[in-house]
Amino acid sequence: MISFQQVGKTYADGTVAVAATDLTADSGRITVLVGPSGSGKTTLLRMVNRMIDPTSGSILIDGVDIRSKPAPELRRGIGYVIQNAGLFPHRTVLANVMTVPRLLGWSKDRARERAMELLATVGLAEEHAKRYPFQLSGGQQQRVGVARALAADPPVLLMDEPFSAVDPVVRKDLQTELLRIQSELEKTILFVTHDIDEAILLGDKVAVLNTGGVLEQFDTPTELLASPKNAFVEGFLGADRGVRRLSFFPSETVPLRTDPIVTLDTTPAEVLARKSEQPWLLVVDAGRRPLGWLPEQRVPADGDLQKVPAGDLVSYGHTFAVDRDTLRAALDSAVLSPSSRAVGVDPEGRVVGVATVEDLVPVIRAAQNGSTPENGR
Amino acid sequence: MNVLTDAWGWLTTSANWHGSDGIPTRFVEHFEYSVEAVLIGALIAFPLGLLTGHTKRGGLVVTSLANVARALPTLGLVVLLVVVMGVKFRAVMIPLVALTVPPILLNTYEGVRNVDPQLTDAAKGMGLRPWQVLWRAEVPAALPLILTGFQFAAVNAVANTAIAAYSSFGGLGRFIIDGLATTEYGEVAGGAVLIVIAAILNLLFFILLRRIFISPGLQPKKLAG
Repeated sequence: MISFQQVGKTYADGTVAVAATDLTADSGRITVLVGPSGSGKTTLLRMVNRMIDPTSGSILIDGVDIRSKPAPELRRGIGYVIQNAGLFPHRTVLANVMTVPRLLGWSKDRARERAMELLATVGLAEEHAKRYPFQLSGGQQQRVGVARALAADPPVLLMDEPFSAVDPVVRKDLQTELLRIQSELEKTILFVTHDIDEAILLGDKVAVLNTGGVLEQFDTPTELLASPKNAFVEGFLGADRGVRRLSFFPSETVPLRTDPIVTLDTTPAEVLARKSEQPWLLVVDAGRRPLGWLPEQRVPADGDLQKVPAGDLVSYGHTFAVDRDTLRAALDSAVLSPSSRAVGVDPEGRVVGVATVEDLVPVIRAAQNGSTPENGR
Repeated sequence: MNVLTDAWGWLTTSANWHGSDGIPTRFVEHFEYSVEAVLIGALIAFPLGLLTGHTKRGGLVVTSLANVARALPTLGLVVLLVVVMGVKFRAVMIPLVALTVPPILLNTYEGVRNVDPQLTDAAKGMGLRPWQVLWRAEVPAALPLILTGFQFAAVNAVANTAIAAYSSFGGLGRFIIDGLATTEYGEVAGGAVLIVIAAILNLLFFILLRRIFISPGLQPKKLAG
């Protein structure tokens, strides 16, 4: 646990970087500091490993004041990841990851073994170990940066905009990887970003900071999205916070209909009966995988689906996985579908049922009024 | 053509390869003076460059000092110091050192100062002490530039040791000075050839140093090719 107690930083010229701040980053959780530039988020982070000294207040890690030991010693017990990784250019990937264990006096063999293990953890192949940083992509360098920070197994990890310099696709991968690693390692992570989406995706709790280092709100992402405390937080969250909050609710509560679902073998009589009740029929193959929507006016008069040309089927857009996707994915699936119906599938991609936008409304309503949602991620 | 033939004749005269004023002796003298000038220059300039580069302070002092030293006229200084101090080793060594200091000082300062701040930040943040940051991050990363500084210093030393011979000191420059005095142009050209050989050996030495000391991680072209 990292506690900031009335921590402030005022520069000699009177500029306030951080106003007196109280904040607690829980053990084994990701706490995100988010805010525009000049909000003191990086300053707050860098105070924890004493790269910057506060001008007031104190910082405690698990109850111990960080000033109780020399800064280099303190830093060896805290993982540190920065924007462009800051790898040693003259050392191999392996040697980079071995840095802190070697500083701590581990034997070469033990440090090497540990480093190889961590490279695997962060998703790098063994052959990368002997390479030099310039031979890696930005994303790979950042993975090495994370491995290096984890090398001595520190309980606390400080991450200063670690994924800001990579392209959005790679960033998404790195974020997913971080969540996976965190679910195994349960580090106490303090994470700085200016990207509110990243904050909401990664944070167990999110601290929204305003210019001048003022802490505006410190809450779980879903609380933040549901009830921003003031206009600044609301503005920072953006216009779609309602929809975005749906990503914290599972889609398994969505009521699913099965009556619009027909197979190519469904008897013509049955097809005609369904057609009279449903404006859209979802045609699935023998394995219950979706083929497409059939509008009622295209259903053959005799109800024989074998006669329907493939071109008459309308794309179903994307499906949502009932067991793991969120309400947001379900709503998106309905919005994008020409039939305004979302298709829910099981892990094997077999259709479980469909839901109209109208079916989703009560579920969404319940979520917005809702009790604590499950973390849908 | 004529001069070259004379030079060849002089170089192949066995008598010129023996004695206290023979080619091997002069060559060793030249080597000793140059090495000494570089070492003394490094002793002054390298720590100063590291200090100013690491702290990023004193840049103006460093560049001013280097420029002043660079602007000194070698020959004038040699003559002046010999007149003032007499024919002493120091009288020759001072101008030589003055020429080895600027490249070592400037390149060390610039090299260390311009190391990626993200690298030093990460190094410090991982728990390296200040001197560890310097020796394990800044110096290795700046080594290509630092070695270039030493190479310039060595080139200056080798070239100007020849000039220093004017003050009746040893080294390969003697052959040129003496040859001119006695209008033995074969000796003059032969001496010049020997100085060129010394410069080439110097170059090869630094190519070797680069191979040994600069990490492949800092030589992207070599690995890519």
